Amino acid sequence: VTGIPKKITLEQWDLRYEQLLKAGIKQPNYGGPLSRHLDDGDQRLIKLRYDNSAASLRLWNFLLSEEDRLREAWLAGKKLIGTMKDLGTVPVMVYSFDNLVAFYPDGAWWIPCVMELNAGLLKVADSLGIDESFCPVRAMLGAFITGAHFPVPDRLICSVGATCDDFSAIAQRLNGLGYSIFFWEIPHRRKPDPEEEMVNLPGGFTAPKCQVEFVRSELHRVRITLEETADKKLDENKLTSGIKQANKVRRYLAELRQLAFTAEPCPVPALEMLIAEMLVIHFCSDRQETILVLKELLDEVKSRVKTGIGVLDAGAAKIFWVNPVADLQVMNLLEDCGGRICGTEYLFTHALDAIPQDIPPMEALAQMALADPMVGSSIDRAQRVCTDISRFGSEAVIISRIPGASHCALEGEVITEIVKNKFDIPVLEIEIPPVTDSMHPTLRTRLEALVETIKARRT
Amino acid sequence: MMIYAGIDAGSRAIKIVLIDSKNMQVIAKGLTDQGVEQDKLTSQLFEKVLIDNSIDKKDIDAIVATGYGRAAVSIADTTITEITCHAAGVCHLIPSAKTIIDIGGQDSKFLRLDGDGKVRDFAMNDRCAAGTGRFLEVVAQRLGVELDALGNLAAESRRPASISSMCVVFAETEITGLLADGKERQDIVAGVQAAIANRIVSMAGRNIDLPVIFTGGVAMVSGMDAALQAALGKSVTVSPDPQMTGALGAAILASRRFDKGKT
Repeated sequence: VTGIPKKITLEQWDLRYEQLLKAGIKQPNYGGPLSRHLDDGDQRLIKLRYDNSAASLRLWNFLLSEEDRLREAWLAGKKLIGTMKDLGTVPVMVYSFDNLVAFYPDGAWWIPCVMELNAGLLKVADSLGIDESFCPVRAMLGAFITGAHFPVPDRLICSVGATCDDFSAIAQRLNGLGYSIFFWEIPHRRKPDPEEEMVNLPGGFTAPKCQVEFVRSELHRVRITLEETADKKLDENKLTSGIKQANKVRRYLAELRQLAFTAEPCPVPALEMLIAEMLVIHFCSDRQETILVLKELLDEVKSRVKTGIGVLDAGAAKIFWVNPVADLQVMNLLEDCGGRICGTEYLFTHALDAIPQDIPPMEALAQMALADPMVGSSIDRAQRVCTDISRFGSEAVIISRIPGASHCALEGEVITEIVKNKFDIPVLEIEIPPVTDSMHPTLRTRLEALVETIKARRT
Repeated sequence: MMIYAGIDAGSRAIKIVLIDSKNMQVIAKGLTDQGVEQDKLTSQLFEKVLIDNSIDKKDIDAIVATGYGRAAVSIADTTITEITCHAAGVCHLIPSAKTIIDIGGQDSKFLRLDGDGKVRDFAMNDRCAAGTGRFLEVVAQRLGVELDALGNLAAESRRPASISSMCVVFAETEITGLLADGKERQDIVAGVQAAIANRIVSMAGRNIDLPVIFTGGVAMVSGMDAALQAALGKSVTVSPDPQMTGALGAAILASRRFDKGKT
């Protein structure tokens, strides 16, 4: 059923879909040909190239059907919780309730790309005073106003404090427009003073115990508001079970990342890996299905690794990628230029690590939240990048700046300097807006030059 | 004789260099303005270079295209980026080169080389025209000065103007303001050159190995080498024939990649 792994166009996927149907593949209720999503206006899909496996078809269909899933859940009487900014902590708590569904309205930042600016979300944000000097996540404002991309959640929860300035401003604007938001605070993670008790956090970071306690108290407030929304108490056993399920997702993803970034030839394209990584933070509105989707993709990748067949030429330049791209097509472009992804830091590395299961669940979630790369210094991020460069054997780093994102103003210099000092490998900074079509020649030059440089350094 | 051609299809000009691979000498070169019909213009220039130098097309062993428009050059056997080509071209002329600053019509680059002329690392300007030849063109146009005259004018400056914006659009507005304030043209030009040089230096980071070689079309604009030297605090050498180093590098790389006598 799987066939020879390769990247194919949307048009080719239609033919491939027919083949898969004839071969008798089983599909979930959100299955179907990929091209059907064009009816939703997702024009960018025409320009992308996709992995041709049934597992990838399921992954894409799962991602692109999230809006339907949310509406179905709402119609079925479930309460929708819009979790904003924390990227991976509050959803774990939400999915421990059987009548709540979490999703990230922040994910609307990809709508301008997927719909090639036709949804008009950025224009709505402009009209609300949130212009292009802000991160493209401002598209979220437009999505709330138009109501065309997700139902208005029953509860909005947003972390503020040491999160990015743009998002805080955008969330406050949203709140001011009448969308009531429950804010909780996350402090800037700092190293403990000598006299303070230290807590080891996931990801190798440390923080003073008082900070962990503060975050735990903030998460307790979140818990109470969730209990009010769900109209039921959050049972400690259910939360523990929720953490176990979240860790299952994380384990599958960890295994997938290890194979995708180290196997030769590369067994799965960068684009599908980007989508797979995103599932870990929001479960795409269905945690159980996320587990099945990732498991199928992992099985496919394992089988490819076992047979030594990949989707890219052996010897592709191994590149570590920092920050998610606003335009999905750039992942294809990197591979067209002879590169492959070999390590990522997409701003939510805390969601990749296992949540501790040997401590009380609220303490564990507080530790996870404080391990967020966005709430610490760029030096912490750089050190995590360095750890993963060693682990995956990356030959260069690309830091893709997000236009307007406040964290991008300084982190590039810090990460560049630390990575260069430690590894003496090339580091390239590029900026990726939501639609890069007019920039392809210049982007291609930078990416090809990096690949040429890597290959010249091998000899 | 084995002849290899390098074509640098830049944003402002198309440059062609032919080399004899036996002694790696340049035997012909040509230059024309870039335009909308990039491929046609390139082919026409190529034909002209061949005719002017009495070279038969069948004697050309391979062609490598580089530069912004390299993908549009249909006569090329392959393409290589201008980063790699400039490094090869400069190192052919100045083998000891450790650092290259290339400022072209549309972008600027900073290249760090290892001992044998290979690129170790590079940085490029953002997608805007800050710190590029286009920026200088806009300034020259606004001041009513020929590009070639900028250097001499800057040399007359006693008090360079402060240019705070490196955005072409904003800088033009700023220059208008400076002129309205009665600032001398030479002070404005000197200020602009210093601002471009500072921009390049900030891209370069802290560790800059000597010798620093300046190449690309903007290296021919007098005064820019001095401005870079002042900003870097290190000596800067302008590459011989700086506008052609990308094409030269492409020809050299063509010989390395396609020379049938080599394995």
